Amino acid sequence: MQGRLGRHQSNVAFLFITPTMLLFAVFTLIPIVLSLYFSFTNYDVLSRIEFIGLDNYKRMLDDHILWVTFRNVFIFSVIYVPFNLAIALSLALLLNRPRRGVGTFRTMYYVPTLTSGVAAATVWLWLLNPEYGLINQLLSYVGITGPAWLATTDTALISVTMVILWQTVGSNMIIYAAGLQGIPDYLYESARLDGAGAFACFRYITLPSLKPTTFFVSTMTIIGALQLFDQPYVLTQGGPANATRTVVYNIYQSGFNELQMGYASAQAFLLAAIILIFAFINMRLNKEGSMI
Amino acid sequence: MKNMRWFAALVVIVMVLGTLMACSNNAANNTGNNTKGNNTTNAEQPTTNGKKVEVTFWGDWGGDGAIPFNVMVDAFNKSQDKIHVTYVIVEDMITKFLTASTSGGSPDIMFWDRWRTASYAPKGVLAPIDEFMKADGVPNTDFYEQALKELSSDGKLYGLPLTVDARALFYNKTILAEKGLNPPTTWDELADVAKQLTVWEGDKLVRSGFSLADVGLFNMTLQQAGGQMLNEDGTKPSFNSPEGLKVLEFWNKLMNVDKVYKLGFEAGLGEGTDAFVTGKVAMIYTGPWMLSNYMKYGKDLDFGVVAPPSGPTGGKGSVMGGFGLVIAEASKNKEAAWEFEKWWLANADNALLWAKTSNNIPGNLKAIADPFFQDNPLYKPFMETLEFAKIRPTFSGYFPMEEKAVTPNLQLFMEGKQDAATTLKKAEEQGANELKNAK
Repeated sequence: MQGRLGRHQSNVAFLFITPTMLLFAVFTLIPIVLSLYFSFTNYDVLSRIEFIGLDNYKRMLDDHILWVTFRNVFIFSVIYVPFNLAIALSLALLLNRPRRGVGTFRTMYYVPTLTSGVAAATVWLWLLNPEYGLINQLLSYVGITGPAWLATTDTALISVTMVILWQTVGSNMIIYAAGLQGIPDYLYESARLDGAGAFACFRYITLPSLKPTTFFVSTMTIIGALQLFDQPYVLTQGGPANATRTVVYNIYQSGFNELQMGYASAQAFLLAAIILIFAFINMRLNKEGSMI
Repeated sequence: MKNMRWFAALVVIVMVLGTLMACSNNAANNTGNNTKGNNTTNAEQPTTNGKKVEVTFWGDWGGDGAIPFNVMVDAFNKSQDKIHVTYVIVEDMITKFLTASTSGGSPDIMFWDRWRTASYAPKGVLAPIDEFMKADGVPNTDFYEQALKELSSDGKLYGLPLTVDARALFYNKTILAEKGLNPPTTWDELADVAKQLTVWEGDKLVRSGFSLADVGLFNMTLQQAGGQMLNEDGTKPSFNSPEGLKVLEFWNKLMNVDKVYKLGFEAGLGEGTDAFVTGKVAMIYTGPWMLSNYMKYGKDLDFGVVAPPSGPTGGKGSVMGGFGLVIAEASKNKEAAWEFEKWWLANADNALLWAKTSNNIPGNLKAIADPFFQDNPLYKPFMETLEFAKIRPTFSGYFPMEEKAVTPNLQLFMEGKQDAATTLKKAEEQGANELKNAK
């Protein structure tokens, strides 16, 4: 039974969450509902907003470029997400031991995350130049002629993926490091008393204890990967031959440069649905895993 | 205490409804504005009881780029006492203009990348200036005809040209002199000179004779071959033609037979290490906007400019681009904005002042007659080029077509992944689709 005090508390709680809910409603919920509506119209921001039924969604079926961008983003995600998680966890494990200089290394791995994305991309553009870039210079010392990394369709996407890995692995590393700190020492101590080796400790203590962290990190990384936009925009402008064009870039072009906000909204909804599906799959995988 | 919950709920409801109403109002106003059309005649008079009319001028050139704008604004403000103009630097200007034209806060006059006229003017967000032109007796013949065409839509004129530009061939005099070569005037000469200037060391390209970095040069090269990007009414691509094939054969010769370039060669080389400045590229197509940049290097970079070499049948071609000033339909001070635009662009002296302070070629033909342009060997080739340069087709589907259909296929061709016939055919099919969808 709810007492006087309880009711008072719940009232105050309502008061406290109201501003957040308001902001959420105004800046997130309403725009989402509106853009769902726009996706069924020929909205162009400026002059018209007429209901056109499923035309935008039908148009997506024939939109050759749209499917190219989805393919690019999938290939990117398949490489990027597992590598990002694996590298982030390895770095976190490596830097979890209280040794001298660990702080310096932690900072070093985290610095790319703090650098402005555009500035970093500009530096990478130069590093990846086929003739004068540092990377191909180094390769030439061992007799290899490096490819034109960002300029050919075969290597552009993988080059972009590498740059983004370098740039984003630090933030996941920090989250994993925090997760590692949260694992109580007595678990390892008792395991070691029972004769467990380093690998067994990792497999049966560290990994399961990090389950919530992994779930969070993988979800955010998947969402981030599917919404890829800025690095390819700076590095390659989606080229060559659309090899690095992403879904969000396509949405941006449709909405703001071609003034087809209705069609852009439809694409955004398709992307949102796909993100939802992957987030759901990820959730299921993590849940099943925790049964072990 | 119970009231408090109700109060909170009420606040939420009011806020939500308020926002929804604001949004639907916008949509309604939107269509309303559009039907009003060019209701410019009853705009506010510049003189209102001795108080100055405030005009807001939007542009997206900041930093040093803002200086010439402020020079012009200050000069105009001093020249009379009825109108006061303020230059506002707006980043991401087009996106902001989209929202500003529908929800208030619209600028009165705007710095305008002319090619956008084709997609924005039909939406009714720009104010036509035909009646102002007639009333003030400003003749169309004072301006580059092609530039005015790019600022027109459906028979109405939406602004005057501020700058005009077109690409011409920049060449490194020192490198050409070493080999005793003259700047090329035809495709054959271009290929020959480029080949002789190219230097390879094993599989490393040390110096490229001619930059092939930008497949966007297809349009101007096609004009040189005598072809066109679109048919007359803008409904179909017309580059899948013998002329289009000639362009690709020419590029194939440069890229794969003579090997004067390597993909990605210039990527990531910033201003200080620009491939043309450092002599890594001997010849390059670029525009007058690079002049002041290259001139900075003085003796270290001895360069010249010639009009683009002509094609196999003597065709000349370059693409004219540039900026204009347009008045927003949502502006309440259209007449004052026009006074400013007229003072700046229709008056040859002021157009010239702008041109000299900003190092741009003005759209005003009288201003161009000045010795500043006619006697300068670096500007002279651009004057020649602008005589025959053509604007991009003025259809809203042209840009999506170029970006999504033509460029990607040309890049595949340059990489050797697609033959010329397939490239043109695929670009044509996908391009036709983009044209159709842009309606």
